[in-house]
Amino acid sequence: MELAIQGILLGGLYATTALGLSLVFGTMRMVNLAHGEILVVGAYLASIAVAATGMDPLLLAIPVAVLLGLVAYPIQRYVLTPVMRHGEEAPITATFGISVIASTAMLLLFSSNPRSVSSPYSTATVEVLGLSVRVVLLIACAIGVVLVLGLGLLLQRTAFGRRVRAVSIDPEAAGLVGINAGRTYAQVFALAAAVAAVGGVLVGMTFSVDPGAGMTWLLRAFTVVVIGGLGSVAGTLTGGILVGLVETFGAALIGAQYRDVVVFGVLVVVLLVRPNGLFVRKAVAR
Amino acid sequence: MRLPTISPRVRGILIYAAPVAVGAVLLAVSGGLRLGTVNDLTSLLLLLVLAQAWNLVGGFGGQFSLGHSIFVGVGGYTTAMVLGHLQTPLWLTLVIAGAVSAAAGLILSYPLLRLRGPYLAIGSLGMALAAMGWMMNWDFTRASQAYPLPAKQVPGLFELFQITTVVTVLALLAVIALLRSPLGLRLIALRDDERGAASLGVRRLRTLVPVWALSGFLTGLMGSLSAMQKGTLTPATAFDVQFALDAAIICVIGGLGTLSGPVVGAVVVFSLRLFSVDFADWSLLIEGVIVVLVVRFVPGGIVGLVVRGWARLRAGRSDSGGPGALSAQTGAVAVQTRAVPTRAGA
Repeated sequence: MELAIQGILLGGLYATTALGLSLVFGTMRMVNLAHGEILVVGAYLASIAVAATGMDPLLLAIPVAVLLGLVAYPIQRYVLTPVMRHGEEAPITATFGISVIASTAMLLLFSSNPRSVSSPYSTATVEVLGLSVRVVLLIACAIGVVLVLGLGLLLQRTAFGRRVRAVSIDPEAAGLVGINAGRTYAQVFALAAAVAAVGGVLVGMTFSVDPGAGMTWLLRAFTVVVIGGLGSVAGTLTGGILVGLVETFGAALIGAQYRDVVVFGVLVVVLLVRPNGLFVRKAVAR
Repeated sequence: MRLPTISPRVRGILIYAAPVAVGAVLLAVSGGLRLGTVNDLTSLLLLLVLAQAWNLVGGFGGQFSLGHSIFVGVGGYTTAMVLGHLQTPLWLTLVIAGAVSAAAGLILSYPLLRLRGPYLAIGSLGMALAAMGWMMNWDFTRASQAYPLPAKQVPGLFELFQITTVVTVLALLAVIALLRSPLGLRLIALRDDERGAASLGVRRLRTLVPVWALSGFLTGLMGSLSAMQKGTLTPATAFDVQFALDAAIICVIGGLGTLSGPVVGAVVVFSLRLFSVDFADWSLLIEGVIVVLVVRFVPGGIVGLVVRGWARLRAGRSDSGGPGALSAQTGAVAVQTRAVPTRAGA
């Protein structure tokens, strides 16, 4: 029971880390291999900001998200979108290069020691249904749910969301009715980076990160996204919770040191069995 | 693209002769070199073999594998086991290490080949990290402790360089032979236009599985030699994902899917690392920047750039370049990519 609650709460956090990846894939059919690094950079920035200002990391997550969004916009506009024209493999290589740059830059700046975002409540626990739960996890899960709902509403109910959906269905037709696909792509990428930055701050508060952690988080986020259905925003929540549960129970059953191995194993199995997601009935045309 | 002054037949001979000649020169001059230089050259050749092996899958096969560190690790640990328990001659040890890696390639390729594009990249990365996590907790490999190779049976740096040179030349010859074979043509046809190739009777699995096995074999050889160079193994160093990253970086910079690309890329990357020896991380940062610039502005890598410049020079007119430059990728190789209809089905 305790494990189940912990798994579900972790799931909320994992959904937050995976949202950006799903959004980018859903709109541009592009898998951002540098997604994990965005999370880690977010965590590092928050950790520095907390050390410098002493403010609450949750408040600082907002400027961190804005900053990363601003950095991400030109990357998509002037590097990734032009590269997408070179074929399907080019964006893989480009985002791979970006991930190498980001992780190495962090290694140079911050050394390889793990680092976490300190907050007044990082070790606090509360009683939920008679079980003690980390406050940080509760907050992370709540933020995850809010972000999933908010992003869903943004995509379904606003003019921006309509533009994004139009571009994702058919960029050329969207262009004919006056939508600038290049700009929309960049906006989506910036939004995804901002959400990922928030996820990174939460990860930094809950666990710790090191410059090489991006790869692990990329894989975890990808697992979440694949389980929930690539490109489906609501699916990330289901995917996140499933990954959280499997990971928590797996770690309890075969040992905590196999935690990551369990996740990667799940990823490989899911990719092989249902590459389009567990809950997607019809095959998504690629 | 083709040099009209050299007939295809002479060209065919030259392509095989070039690595042999360079290898012979290296062996001949190695006697006069300092031990440090010899060791550096060994490292360079190892990078070259790694990149060349990866290029079969990642370049010619169009499958961006991030899982090749598995083959390096399997080759390394097999070598440690064989040296520790059997009294086999060195060449046989190498062959065994390669064969076990090739088997790993066979086994991994079946599930991986169900995936394409980014799925394959991430799936293979997942496998690589899972393999490393497993090795770190497995008593058979002494878990995360160092696994020393028996010092008596490991060749000295000098001898190791000579062996590495021979292995590199043989690896290059194997890759050339594969690319000039019908299998190589099928491989490139599949990458350029899967549906078109399938309509001509090219079977995806039958083509790609042997290529993965060969790539695994060559990477395993590299892992074996690399283990001998280091003297000890730990799962974190033997299965380091950095091997796969290195291979990808080298091939992208040099030119994906060209024969000379990995060679050029390995020299460039290795010199970069040599000159920034105290700042190894700076080198990686610069490499990352170059990768992004190459993908953005010169998709064919250094080799593609040279081939295009050469063609432009010969034609005496400006070439439009752009996305069409992708088809120039294989121009440096004596493989007639152009004979394959490109993207007819897409």
